[in-house]
Amino acid sequence: MSKPHTPSSVRRIALVTGAAGGLGTAQVEALSEAGMQVVAHARTASHRLDALAERTGAIPAVRDLADPEATRALVRETVESTGRLDVLVANHATMSMSALVAADPDEWWRVVRTNLLGTFALTQEAVRAMRAHGDGGRIVIISSEWGVTGWPNASAYAASKAGLISLVKCLGRELAPEGILVNAIAPGVIDTPQLQVDADDAGVDLQTMHGRYAEGIPLGRVGHATEIAEAVRFLADPALAAMAGQIMQINGGATRGRV
Amino acid sequence: MPAVIVTGSGGGMGRAIVARLQHRGLRVAGFDRAPSPEADHSEIVDLTDAGGTAAAVSRASAALGPIDGFVSAAGHYSSIPFTDVTDAEAAGMLDVHLGAFFRVAQALLPGMIEREHGSIVAVASELAVGGGERDSHYAAAKGAVLGAVRSLAAEVAPAGVRVNAVAPGPTDTPMLPSDSPWRDPEYLRALPTRALASPDEVARCVEFLICSGTFVTGETLHPNSGAVI
Repeated sequence: MSKPHTPSSVRRIALVTGAAGGLGTAQVEALSEAGMQVVAHARTASHRLDALAERTGAIPAVRDLADPEATRALVRETVESTGRLDVLVANHATMSMSALVAADPDEWWRVVRTNLLGTFALTQEAVRAMRAHGDGGRIVIISSEWGVTGWPNASAYAASKAGLISLVKCLGRELAPEGILVNAIAPGVIDTPQLQVDADDAGVDLQTMHGRYAEGIPLGRVGHATEIAEAVRFLADPALAAMAGQIMQINGGATRGRV
Repeated sequence: MPAVIVTGSGGGMGRAIVARLQHRGLRVAGFDRAPSPEADHSEIVDLTDAGGTAAAVSRASAALGPIDGFVSAAGHYSSIPFTDVTDAEAAGMLDVHLGAFFRVAQALLPGMIEREHGSIVAVASELAVGGGERDSHYAAAKGAVLGAVRSLAAEVAPAGVRVNAVAPGPTDTPMLPSDSPWRDPEYLRALPTRALASPDEVARCVEFLICSGTFVTGETLHPNSGAVI
């Protein structure tokens, strides 16, 4: 049987959420460079988002994905403005650290709601959009090394990211028959503005923070956002249809195949 | 221009891997029991022969310059009920898969470590992850390769050498005969993607790990049509 695919005359449309962050920005750049029209989502308007749109030709879209209705609207507006959706990169995430017993339940659930339920609503609406054209699609969900290994004081974040892994495994099975391939990337420690937050938390400078993380990474360094974006581009490629429901762990050798 | 050794370069997967790596600008030494006409340098070699393998690696390096990549794609498959597997068949499977990987990797690693640059990819199998009936000797050999990949990855990462695996599901190559159970329409209907993997898709995974996955080591990619999730 022939696999559904986008006719080569059609420009593929990608939606990247959390595009103003370190990882998302590199993903928008990589997918734009691969010839796609990208819609770059961020929670709030910013100079950074505008500059990214200016640089890559991406269409900026501002929505708060803690709100499921806003999330669905983001996908619908993407299709309204571009005509279709071929690739979804669910990259947005929020994080707050707290010991479990001290955790504020509202804050705990806000993290899970944004990361897991936000991706649920996003994916549900994206699948509807991909079914509308019948050419299949690619969905790349950004999980996390901590979703595989767990981490002290990160229970809400880790639970949401582990939930995404199970979601990907189910959707990999559920959607592959119609040519919509769902896979995940679980990045390890990557050089993004988040590391400055971690450094401030720990009361050390950024370079010291890099060194501390690097000690736990066999390759001896933290990763670059472009190294995650390359994997997104790889999984978004219409020529690769044999990967479904899989988790790519990109962390410099920290987990080595553990899922 | 960087150079890479691909073993099993004459097979269905091997040829696709050679083509994709050449497309990325790499020069390829093909190692197989027959000539590899598409490769930039061809070695006819029995990978179970340690001396012959080391000599072939030296000749490839003399012809193409420093070898910074190695794709272990030579393999052999047979289907035997567990109780019928002989010691010789079990040992033979291990030698073809794990032994060949070891011999070529050991010949190449000193140079890679000295240059602080290298990428190794072993082609394993979905059967090493999910297992399969009448596959114990094959799955054990491929599983051993995955263990070796993870350990070697940890060992040589500080020297800047990456080691990964690709574990394909049933792939549309001549190794899968027309009466293979994996070509049975009923089996294909049970696969999430409803189709065998193509050699090119497996080769794309190898290409990613060799050329693009610069923060990936000890990892396995699974182009298996969703057979093992």
